[in-house]
Amino acid sequence: MRAPTRAVRPDRAAVTLRVLGVTALVGVAATVWLGLFVTPPDEFMGNLVRLLYVHPPMAWVAFLAYGVASLASLLYLWPRTRAERFDRLAGASAEVGVVFTGLTLVSGSIWGRPTWGVWWVWDPLLTTTALLFVLYLGYLALRRVPGEFHVRARRSAIGALIAFIDVPIVYLSVEWWRSLHQAPTVLNPTTHKTYVHGSMAWTLLLGFVSFTLVYIWLATHRYRLAELQDLEDTEGLEVALAERRAEAVAG
Amino acid sequence: MNGYVEAGYVVILGTLGTYGLTLLARERAARRRVGAASIEASTAAGAGAPAKADILAPPGDASAVKHGAVEQAGPGSTS
Repeated sequence: MRAPTRAVRPDRAAVTLRVLGVTALVGVAATVWLGLFVTPPDEFMGNLVRLLYVHPPMAWVAFLAYGVASLASLLYLWPRTRAERFDRLAGASAEVGVVFTGLTLVSGSIWGRPTWGVWWVWDPLLTTTALLFVLYLGYLALRRVPGEFHVRARRSAIGALIAFIDVPIVYLSVEWWRSLHQAPTVLNPTTHKTYVHGSMAWTLLLGFVSFTLVYIWLATHRYRLAELQDLEDTEGLEVALAERRAEAVAG
Repeated sequence: MNGYVEAGYVVILGTLGTYGLTLLARERAARRRVGAASIEASTAAGAGAPAKADILAPPGDASAVKHGAVEQAGPGSTS
């Protein structure tokens, strides 16, 4: 017989999360509509420019996710703020970051094939981004290495901070080693100018906002899942204890 | 437009959609398991069994049982 489940009343946080999810979905739908059907083709890139309404937001969200993971890791390592929730947040944010980094690489590759003529080139930006992807995959693997909770959490936090060193290198690589990949066009760190205007700029901005909301929604759900998994481990212990207690009574 | 643009959008939206739905399904399944486990634990504990501290405390350590010291320390504690 299947055990009845605990009745869960939707709390305020769940409602907020649902509203956030719907808002993110509408934002992404609007970005896709504007990006594919409303904005004009680019003078040089033609229709391929439409991929750039989603590719830079992927990279931005990946950076944001790793920034949050690093901040949470720092808070975990700092003795005064050490709490399990920061370890969970770091893991959740890094996992979502890995998904967005993978999408950055794939969407960039799809754009690169018709533009550069190749799917992949060992350009500094692409190489350091691929390295970032591998570093955080390693971080996620490190989190799965068995061990006592705080030992595992501490080494994961240190791993997250080491991996984050690559983020500014990725961002500045186009400035340091001028290569095939174009320099930042939204806000150039050298000229401090933006090279996107009109409906193209608004669509790109909407893309940044929408995918940031998607990130918050995904990371929150991943965090809640981690919380439930921890609770599950604890409750598994409770069941084992209860069974042992019942055995003691019967014996 | 050309196939590259569509492919890029499909890959991005498809991956994010699949990942999001997977997270929701895993969260729902975990919530169900946790709910079932807590009911199982409370059912087993409700059969007139001794308190958790009786089982965790070393034999003869009556004070630990009486004051619930072992229970308060929690799993993984060395104190």
